[in-house]
Amino acid sequence: MAYKDFRDFLHTLEKEGQLLTISDEVKPEPDLAAANRALNNLGDKTPALFFNNIYGYTNARIAMNVMGSWPNHALMMGMPKNTPLKEQFFEFARRYEQFPVPVKREETAPFHEVEITEDINLFDILPLFRLNQGDGGFYLDKAILVSRDLDDPDTYGKQNVGLYRMQVKGKNRLGIQPVPQHDIAIHIRQAEERGENLKVAIALGCEPVITTAASTPLLYDQSEYEMAGAIQGEPYRVVKAKDADLDLPWGAEVILEGEVLAGEREYEGPFGEFTGHYSGGRAMPVIQINRVYHRKQPIFEHLYIGMPWTETDYMIGVNTSVPLFQQLKDAFPNEIVAVNAMYTHGLVAIISTKTRYGGFAKAVGMRALTTPHGLGYCKLVIVVDEEVDPFNLPQVMWALSTKLHPKHDAVIVPGLSILPLDPGSDPAGMTHKMILDATTPVAPDIRGHYSQSLDSPLGVAEWEKKLSRMLR
Amino acid sequence: MHICPRCESNRSEVVTRSPVKGAWEVLLCPVCLFTWRTSEPDSITDPAKYKSAFKVNPQDIPNAAHVPPIPERI
Repeated sequence: MAYKDFRDFLHTLEKEGQLLTISDEVKPEPDLAAANRALNNLGDKTPALFFNNIYGYTNARIAMNVMGSWPNHALMMGMPKNTPLKEQFFEFARRYEQFPVPVKREETAPFHEVEITEDINLFDILPLFRLNQGDGGFYLDKAILVSRDLDDPDTYGKQNVGLYRMQVKGKNRLGIQPVPQHDIAIHIRQAEERGENLKVAIALGCEPVITTAASTPLLYDQSEYEMAGAIQGEPYRVVKAKDADLDLPWGAEVILEGEVLAGEREYEGPFGEFTGHYSGGRAMPVIQINRVYHRKQPIFEHLYIGMPWTETDYMIGVNTSVPLFQQLKDAFPNEIVAVNAMYTHGLVAIISTKTRYGGFAKAVGMRALTTPHGLGYCKLVIVVDEEVDPFNLPQVMWALSTKLHPKHDAVIVPGLSILPLDPGSDPAGMTHKMILDATTPVAPDIRGHYSQSLDSPLGVAEWEKKLSRMLR
Repeated sequence: MHICPRCESNRSEVVTRSPVKGAWEVLLCPVCLFTWRTSEPDSITDPAKYKSAFKVNPQDIPNAAHVPPIPERI
């Protein structure tokens, strides 16, 4: 089911009625961001947007909200667009277990059509624009960045493919925010300890499967390309970069090759973030771009990010939940039922589990805090019974309202790590975390009056089928 | 010469002009690295109307926290 390239996926969206082309002239600011924000306000089944008539440009083409809804996420996986979210979660989890699928190597790629190595000016090459009013500039926020581990360059999985926000701060200069919990921070540290620049490559306009893998919190030595192969069910196609030993996604629209300048920090930000707050301005590493290549008339893909929910939340919802699910299952294979870590990238996580004995659910919550993703997220973990669907928030609220006793079931663990972008962290990067145990107490934890849980009238399942048929 | 709406330095430079002649220019401030397009609303382009919460004092820039800190050479 692999998509050939970014354009192939856009074509599928169009065929499925999930791509809206805006041919009326729009201004780069504020129209592009405003249209996308408005679209995100209109529900969870919205199409992608394609702008082809932008004030001041002659041939700019911009795609946004490409993964910004559950139908588009289903289509990314090659599933029918109306596939329910819970089904998408379990199918993603099934494919996740097929990892690793080795890559397929190619010699050339469509993006080799146009190459620029002198007088690079990203402001000329890309139709850049501002998203939110307080942003310090124009950003690349749906580009994947590839880098290698310098201590162990031969271990394929340690080549990292990640999504990082990058501010365009000069004709050939980008600023990058390396959150300490993310892999790029490890590679930058390795290079700076040696006093060397870190070679990187940046790909814009990629098939959604690599963007999904790049935004999945995989383990450090797991390859995003090999995960992309698992998700799409066939080997992912890559081609070598020209200035470094880095693999690039074959289907990308634009490639930037460059290096993180060792020991340089430069003012970056603020940027309106997925937390619904601006990030503030800080001094961050700088990338110098040395080579650009792109398809003729490239499509610039961009992502509106701001107060949830936006495309980001659809893009990193299921693929954040599944690694937590798998890692919790590694510890408790017979108990964990499902994990919903879709809220603000898993700052809140809801875990459905069976309970073996009194206190078990709290241990599940503690384990969530110590997973690799939990170290930077999972500020609030809600644990619910196996019968509760963690993707059904009314059910979760029912569990919280009836199963939880604040005296016994609210656990606060002080002084843990969190990503510094959490606006409540104090100092940035530090926080207390909370587990809310909303499971039914079991022996020897004998509390409450839970022996008479409500059942349904006999025959409900048959009536569900009958009424569904009648309502069609 | 252009005044940066954010830090009010007068050193901003044009980094690109619209492919359609005369529509807009993009300017970059080398002091606070703010970027803006001349066709943006005046709440972005006019120093007097730029939101005060987002103003940057050039004197604070050298003191901005390093994220991540620069490690010792080994």
